[in-house]
Amino acid sequence: MVNLRDEELQRIAQQLGRDPSVVELHAFDAAWSEHCSYKSSRRFLKTLPTSGSRVLLGPGEDAGILHLGTHDGERYAVVVAHESHNHPSQVVPFEGAATGIGGIVRDVLCMGAEVVAVADPLRFGRCDDLASHQSHVARAVVDGIGAYGNAIGVPNVAGDVYFEHGFDENCLVNVVALGIVNEKDVIHSYAPKGAEGWQIVLVGKATDPSGFGGASFSSLTLDARDAELNKGAVQVPDPFFKNVLMRASYRVFALQRERRLAAAFKDLGAGGIVGCSAEMTGHGGYGAQIDLSGVNVALEGMPPEIIAVGETQERMMWIAPPEFVPDLLRIYNEEFGLPEVAYNACATVIGEVTAQQRYVLQYRERIVMDVESEFLTGAINDELPYTEKIYHGATAQELPAVDIEGIFPRVLAHRDVCSREPLYRRYDSVVRGRTVLPRGAGDAGILAPVPGSRLGVALAVAGNPRYGRIDPAYAAEQAVLEAMRRVVAVGAHPIGLTDCLNFGNPRKAEQYGEFVAAVEALARAATELDLPFVSGNVSLYNEAATGRAIPASAIVACIGSIADIATVITPGFKAAGSALLWVGSRELVGGGSVLAELLGVKGTLPHIEYDAERAALTIVRDAIARGVMRSCRVVADGGMLTAVARLAFDALRAGRKLGAEIDFGNPLCEAGGFVCEIAGDSGMDVTGTLQIGTTIDAPELVVNGTRFDVERLYETWSRPLAQLYP
Amino acid sequence: MSARIAVPVFPGTNSEDETLRLLRDCGGDAELVHWSQASSLAQYDAYVLAGGFAYEDRIRAGAIAAHDRMMDSVIEAAESGKLVFGICNGAQILLEAGLVPGTGSIRRPTAAFTRNAPAPHFVCKHVYLKLAIDPARCAITAALPEDAIVPAWAAHAEGRLAATPEHLREIVAGGHLAFVYADSTGAVDDGAIPNGSALGCAGLVNRAGNVLAIMPHPERDAWNFNHLDRREGDDVLATSGGSVLFRSFVQALS
Repeated sequence: MVNLRDEELQRIAQQLGRDPSVVELHAFDAAWSEHCSYKSSRRFLKTLPTSGSRVLLGPGEDAGILHLGTHDGERYAVVVAHESHNHPSQVVPFEGAATGIGGIVRDVLCMGAEVVAVADPLRFGRCDDLASHQSHVARAVVDGIGAYGNAIGVPNVAGDVYFEHGFDENCLVNVVALGIVNEKDVIHSYAPKGAEGWQIVLVGKATDPSGFGGASFSSLTLDARDAELNKGAVQVPDPFFKNVLMRASYRVFALQRERRLAAAFKDLGAGGIVGCSAEMTGHGGYGAQIDLSGVNVALEGMPPEIIAVGETQERMMWIAPPEFVPDLLRIYNEEFGLPEVAYNACATVIGEVTAQQRYVLQYRERIVMDVESEFLTGAINDELPYTEKIYHGATAQELPAVDIEGIFPRVLAHRDVCSREPLYRRYDSVVRGRTVLPRGAGDAGILAPVPGSRLGVALAVAGNPRYGRIDPAYAAEQAVLEAMRRVVAVGAHPIGLTDCLNFGNPRKAEQYGEFVAAVEALARAATELDLPFVSGNVSLYNEAATGRAIPASAIVACIGSIADIATVITPGFKAAGSALLWVGSRELVGGGSVLAELLGVKGTLPHIEYDAERAALTIVRDAIARGVMRSCRVVADGGMLTAVARLAFDALRAGRKLGAEIDFGNPLCEAGGFVCEIAGDSGMDVTGTLQIGTTIDAPELVVNGTRFDVERLYETWSRPLAQLYP
Repeated sequence: MSARIAVPVFPGTNSEDETLRLLRDCGGDAELVHWSQASSLAQYDAYVLAGGFAYEDRIRAGAIAAHDRMMDSVIEAAESGKLVFGICNGAQILLEAGLVPGTGSIRRPTAAFTRNAPAPHFVCKHVYLKLAIDPARCAITAALPEDAIVPAWAAHAEGRLAATPEHLREIVAGGHLAFVYADSTGAVDDGAIPNGSALGCAGLVNRAGNVLAIMPHPERDAWNFNHLDRREGDDVLATSGGSVLFRSFVQALS
């Protein structure tokens, strides 16, 4: 099945001066898919800020790179990539989600980095009926992510999950991976200067027919009726093999460093061998001559188009100088014995880099593809019409007075607020022994990525679909703000962002308009906060056959640096008698809040004022720098009181029976900010903050005179998701 | 000459990095031995089998690895009295190899760490191990205090001790139950068991006391920066917590 449009087919025939071969058809189908070409998103993505003093590599290769810090005179950087695996996960949830982790890990690995963490922002349909398909997807996706990440030994330290009817037919499985690299050892994904005559080495599993047409399939609207047909487009994960492939690649990196040789390395993702090799050579200004007969295959007699563009997992590609190739082959094939680990797996030379910019494939002594590299991999654009100013309007509606005693437990038990532990317990959050804050312990995960060093890196994700349903632009701005706040709340300094833009059908002006508005909003927020986007991904066509698109979902990850992990804010109230401050907007409007949903009202959206946001960040960072911040949580889903309760829960889990006394109008509004536990004698200037209460020496929350037992609230909050994830 | 410790790496091992690092930080002379170097394994003085998913945990976790040629050397070493310490997947392999509890014969296990219950899922949870034997009963625990409590992370899908009632009685009667799950104060109750393990078992030792197998990972809660309850002023890079068990292991070699 080829999804090229008529005009695209005509363009290809015109350029080639002949009808394209079958292999060429499939190659263009992949290369010109939305998934690979960003043809309808590129012109907007260009507006995102992508540079800054910390940026070593912005968007363009498989991952972005940010300077982290210096240890022992060596400069270290974090490598970050962010992707979606939505369509595959909807069709075959376990495998789809697992290969999402597999792919994102390769994107980081191929920059020469050691992969140190993953995160998984997830959006599922409503799972009230545990026997529903939505519940099956929600469970199988989590099991797939766990099965893959746990086996390769990369800790899952951050993520979030929402359950909305808007995702009933289109789940979102976004994945983020972080790596650590010495800055002088970064490997790029295109052939460097002087690479003419270098060899193209395919490494990994034997190519099989799985994942054929994957890129193209990801760029379609899903129709449940085609579910069986689409399954073949999903790849098959093999984390066990990946474990070995990663470790073998680390060994190659070490040898390459020792011998001071340049080389290029890239993940085989969308478009398979052609997609990868054409980009690696084309972006370096070269061509390639590849013989598909040299590819190690799992089945004899596969047609050349499947070998050329099939998306079999667990494969990578090196472009290396001939003097390095024997060592490279030895490490993969002998030292790590790939052929013994999986059937017909190996590293093998399949072609070479050529000076003339033609991409030529041959198969059994026949030329099956011969095109200009630039024509295949160059930018293409689809200028589609879109509707401006998408706003599904919350009305200016006052929130009614609330009965806090009755409603607060319901907020804590709400599907968007309750404990995520039953879910993330299935993920290994501590493998490799570098975890400082594991999943759930704080608002962001933290690792000490360089053994023996005090450097830390924080990672958090955000993207609230309750906002996305109302206002795509607002949701995007809040996603940037919340991800950044989360990183700040654990004591890190935000240094960069990534985004995954999950939207509907770009060929429908209204759905496309949501995407356009969200990108503008991301650019505005990032510019105001002076944070660059260094990597990202776009997933369009998240639309069901009914024509319903998902809630606008710009999902943002924020990366933070920590100079000394001793300064990390550890979880939970530390002592009685601390001042509790609410730093940030305290606008008492409920638009998009869990409270508004429970009350059945709309409310208005809280305003975003960047001056106030910057001031709030300064206050929090200042309190941390001065050592008076005892604990901190962001105000997000469930509002300020939920943040206070979380701090009490964190303390309870650490064996400290502490609580708080709070006096504040409506403590369940969700205008973003921080709740901070500040040492009572801090002498801190709290201008611009509001003291909302104090911590007390009893496991109780006393809210405007109403008393709650922390242990009972903890039960209420802990249990709901255990139904879905026993 | 200090004793040399091998950390064998099977295809699928994933915890070799922190295991090696902690052994070294505790003063051990340790190195990784890759499966392609299996023939060099015999020359080491002690062995630490790290966590992971050797051979994809096919059949049952550890079942295939127990038959790997690297295990020929480890079994021979264990029978000659050398120290062998297995963690998580390493523990599963030692059970499948029949080295612990050692009440059967080699590669004919009488007990296994198998699928968690009641929920048969992977569980990642902070736990405490309580020493349930006289410390001197096992060379690897000899330097621990009586009733020692060791913080660790359970991170496994197959950590439930399963055996016939008769073999469970042998485990108890023979003093093989080295560690049980407990809370932070050392209290033993069912709520502390993350996986439905029989006898609340977190670790087993062989008859001779030179082979120890534990399911949770003390090496992931072993530096101050790993502890959520660390105190202000603690050197974040110093070893502590779960490292006591590694120190005891290294001490037994000197």
